[in-house]
Amino acid sequence: MNVDVGQDIPEWDMPSVSAARMRTMAAILRDPNPVHWDKRVVSEIGFGEHTINQGPLGLSYMVNMLHAWTGPGSIRRIFMRFPLVVLDGDHIIARGQVTAVREEDGVRYADCDIWLYREGSANPLEGSATVQLPQN
Amino acid sequence: MPEASTPTPEEIQALVGHRFPGGNYTIAHWENFLLTECTGADPLPGDLAHPVALFHMPILGAGTSIGEMFALGQAESDSSIGIESYEWEFFQPMREEHEYRVEGEITQADRRIEGERIFDRIAFQFDLMDEAGVATARTTITWHYRRSTQA
Repeated sequence: MNVDVGQDIPEWDMPSVSAARMRTMAAILRDPNPVHWDKRVVSEIGFGEHTINQGPLGLSYMVNMLHAWTGPGSIRRIFMRFPLVVLDGDHIIARGQVTAVREEDGVRYADCDIWLYREGSANPLEGSATVQLPQN
Repeated sequence: MPEASTPTPEEIQALVGHRFPGGNYTIAHWENFLLTECTGADPLPGDLAHPVALFHMPILGAGTSIGEMFALGQAESDSSIGIESYEWEFFQPMREEHEYRVEGEITQADRRIEGERIFDRIAFQFDLMDEAGVATARTTITWHYRRSTQA
């Protein structure tokens, strides 16, 4: 697999973030935070009649982008900050760009900047990742 | 959760070094399937677990819960928590129906004041090991506990 610094990672599209998936996630996570399942609470804190996506779900869109690019099991590290919330109904696109390609003990890695894009907004999630590259 | 009074900065700093009981956790097939569906992806090949499991699995495996982590920092409410960052490190892929040993502790905790915003910043670190004791993954969760008043 040929990878160059500056190369864009093929983007991964989430056309509409789902409130139902947030509820399933909250149940599996035993997450008591009502912002993920109670629109009234979210409205009271100023985000309208929505629910707020769990941080790990936003991060998982980046995981899916990286898996589609370098394959399942290839991720070695992800670091993510969460400057803005993601709401149900949002159209979100995971994007990334290669910042370094290196080799350690015969294994090739790509370091990348990764982020979630939302039209008309600053990036709601921003971070970095390292993936192991498939052998040529 | 009941509303808590604002802890002192010293109470928050004293959380550093708090260790969770530790324990074992197995990602069930159904759990991996539903988690993966929540991310919008198709099931991964073989017995690979979706990396998103590295959020809740270490928390529950270490013998704690999101609710207890909120309570440890004396959160004013469940909705007063904000995420600063998550760091996930994978030394080998996680697999469903494999038992992992999990250990966790609080590694950072301090009071922050940014303009008029007062919050406590608490970092939790969890380590996963496979049945042979080999490191599988590490996660660091850093949350902000927003305070409406200063102690």
